[in-house]
Amino acid sequence: MQLLKKLKKASPGWFLLTVGIIILLLIPNLNIIINLFGEAGENWEHVRNYLLVNYFQNSLILVLATGLLAAFLGAGLAWVIAAYNFPGRDFLSWGLILPLAIPPYIGAYVYQGMFSYTGPLQTFLRNKFQLRLSQQYFDFMNIRGAIFIYTIFLFPYVFLMTRAFLSKQSASLLESSRLLGKSDNTIFFKIILPLSRGAVVAGSSLVMMEVLNDYGVVKYFGISTFTTAIFKSWFGMGDLPTSVRLAVMAMLVIFVVLFIEKLLRGGRKYSYSTSNIRPVSRRKLEGSRKVLAQLFTYGVFFFGFLLPTVQLLYWSFLSRGGGLMETLHFAFTSFLTGGGAAVLILTGAVIIATTARMSSNFVSNLLARITILGYSIPGAVIAVGVLLFMLQLDGVLSFLQTGFGIEANVVLSSTLVMLIFAYAVRFMGIAFNSVNSGYEKIGESYFEASRTLGKGVTETFFKIDLPMLKPALMSGFLLVFIEIMKELPLTMILRPFNFDTLATKAFEYASDEMIYRAADLSLVLIFFSAAAIYLITHHRRRKK
Amino acid sequence: MKKLIIVTIIISIFVGLGTAAAAAEEVNLYTNRHYDTDEEILNRFTEETGIEVNVLKGDSDQLIERIAREGKNSPADVLITADAGRLHRAKERDILQSVSTETLTQNVPANLRDEDNYWYGLTIRGRVIVYSKDRVDPEDLAGYGDLTSDQWQDKILVRSSENIYNQSLLASLVSIYGEEWAEDWAAGIVDNMARKPQGNDRAQATAVAAGEGDLAIMNTYYLGKMINSDNPAEVEVAENVGIHFPDGENGTHINVSGAGVVKNAPNKDNAVKLLEYLSSALAQKFFASANYEYPVNPEVEASELLQSWGDFETQNINLTELGIHNQTAVRIFNRVGWQ
Repeated sequence: MQLLKKLKKASPGWFLLTVGIIILLLIPNLNIIINLFGEAGENWEHVRNYLLVNYFQNSLILVLATGLLAAFLGAGLAWVIAAYNFPGRDFLSWGLILPLAIPPYIGAYVYQGMFSYTGPLQTFLRNKFQLRLSQQYFDFMNIRGAIFIYTIFLFPYVFLMTRAFLSKQSASLLESSRLLGKSDNTIFFKIILPLSRGAVVAGSSLVMMEVLNDYGVVKYFGISTFTTAIFKSWFGMGDLPTSVRLAVMAMLVIFVVLFIEKLLRGGRKYSYSTSNIRPVSRRKLEGSRKVLAQLFTYGVFFFGFLLPTVQLLYWSFLSRGGGLMETLHFAFTSFLTGGGAAVLILTGAVIIATTARMSSNFVSNLLARITILGYSIPGAVIAVGVLLFMLQLDGVLSFLQTGFGIEANVVLSSTLVMLIFAYAVRFMGIAFNSVNSGYEKIGESYFEASRTLGKGVTETFFKIDLPMLKPALMSGFLLVFIEIMKELPLTMILRPFNFDTLATKAFEYASDEMIYRAADLSLVLIFFSAAAIYLITHHRRRKK
Repeated sequence: MKKLIIVTIIISIFVGLGTAAAAAEEVNLYTNRHYDTDEEILNRFTEETGIEVNVLKGDSDQLIERIAREGKNSPADVLITADAGRLHRAKERDILQSVSTETLTQNVPANLRDEDNYWYGLTIRGRVIVYSKDRVDPEDLAGYGDLTSDQWQDKILVRSSENIYNQSLLASLVSIYGEEWAEDWAAGIVDNMARKPQGNDRAQATAVAAGEGDLAIMNTYYLGKMINSDNPAEVEVAENVGIHFPDGENGTHINVSGAGVVKNAPNKDNAVKLLEYLSSALAQKFFASANYEYPVNPEVEASELLQSWGDFETQNINLTELGIHNQTAVRIFNRVGWQ
């Protein structure tokens, strides 16, 4: 036993690499947090007196309402997909993830464009029926509209996690309950919901973080939240300390919400596991219940993916494919940057996860916490942390170069290196989670066998672990790829000269209200993300 | 095969990184503008002078923050951004330098450039009152001050105070009438608003056409964009509203989008050349009309569309004032609850 423990210890090489990466990830965050301990900014007093209550209210309402709605929508859909058979079910089991391919800010522009006075719906009513309805029925640009946008485009996080959980864990419980004559409603509320609570909460806290960090939607709708306040006090007033204070308060909102959930759950733990993993035998639906299930699932798919995509296609048609070459050029840039960065990030995540696996529970938990840090901090805040770090690094580099008489004059802060590094800080957590769950699936026995047979840690990794990790790496890669394709604040602030992605260009056009020009770019962006989603879901399915 | 793809991706990224460095004569431009015509103008500049232009596009405030953070290592030579208030902020943050040449002085009138020559206006826009042709008699409209009268109770549409255009409008009123007057005015507008501020300038004009209110405060060029929109419904909106240039005690509030040479510009001479080129009669016509704006260069005529809107009197202040009173304006907005 003692020997096995020793064999499982990380080799110094792996450990040092991990420490190196972790330090790199931490510095930009520290660069920012350090501002918290300085003096309050000159605008802090004013912000606190006149604005803070409003920010707090709006952010809390948005985060709580979206978190709750997404939880119910995601869990409900996951249940219907996992427990029943009806026409279209196979398609929807991945089709319901597709809303994730549409960035919320593009969704917001599309919905507003559709329902506005000059949009297709009202124009149609006016021209065909001479119908002029009060604008308040079409008013989208308020908190209710924002909650709808966030819920319909972000609920797949909850759906994905809950569905994965249900398909693995609940077969025998579900069947026992059915045998004992419980109605499906009772089963859902009394058994499934409490049981999958961990997965639902995990998914909905991802949703809440996205909502709190989103800038595009609230900026467009004119809702003051912590994120808009951070941008306003930082870029508008040039007051970094005030905006860092706001960023930290925003994170507190998340913690409070998660804490309340824990409190409500009390000491009870809902977990149930069995070695007997098999798919749930789905019940075939007939009659009105079939129609209801279809209405529900197809309805969500319609509003979350089909309708906005068709609207974009129509706009793209109206603008008559305004610059196809241009669009292809941006698509190429996005694709290369997203792909390249995702490869690098995955490599880092594999190194960290491999070390975490060979370390104590405490260390591996700590590593997980640190990697996710970048995901919970607003993008703009990370951007400036990274910029500061790169400038410090450039200072060191130029010092070294003059010291050694090298004339290369390498400057990192105006190259893609900076942007890719920022992506790594932000998305390392996602990659790490994928790799880690891959390791959990493999278990440790192969690794232990290889080590007892005298193979080294590194050799074991390349010969045993890596081939088995492939599916996890694949889905991790695609998840990070989708995130980078949609990413906005980091790219906007840190990109080098003459560099545009689909997302930045679409946002530029859209924020200029040239939604027609933005349509082509958005469609290509959605296509890439949707293809990635298709690959993730179908790769997994083939494995089964 | 898969490995090959991955390796190719990585290599091409690093090749991409390398190419950023090389070029003989160049000028690095940080800009918030993203019009297709800009590319043409810059290409022509390169043709005439042999100077390559590297462009970094971005949100104005973020570009300023980036230059400030890059400090003395910043590759930026020229900053182009909208709003004098913002240009003043860039000057205050110590990222611009004063340049003065005969050509620039000739091309840009004194009230449209910084008093110490840190920045020069390039295009002009007015912040005007747009009214419903059906419900409003333009004879009833005068200056900004009259908008607070009871006649316009629940009739006024205007966007959020986070927007720099509103901040600069209020700053101009602070400069002309003093802080107290400006605060009363802002409170009066909040009382007369038809709805909570939402959307951008274009949305205000649409709301007038939809009957949510009768008057909208907005920038001229948005109307130009609507008239030339791909969407027939938007063109119809633009046809149903009229433009009133505020007059009365003091004229229409104008603002510029403009440019300055960055403090540590590595290619200062080229930067000055670019500024001179952009303010020249040749470039002005296209540069201004790309965004339906008025040229700063007095020798150049505005586009036909803009001329059809008629002549107008402008506020009689140096635009530097907009920057000086920006903070005061922001605080007034927050105090009176203009969201």
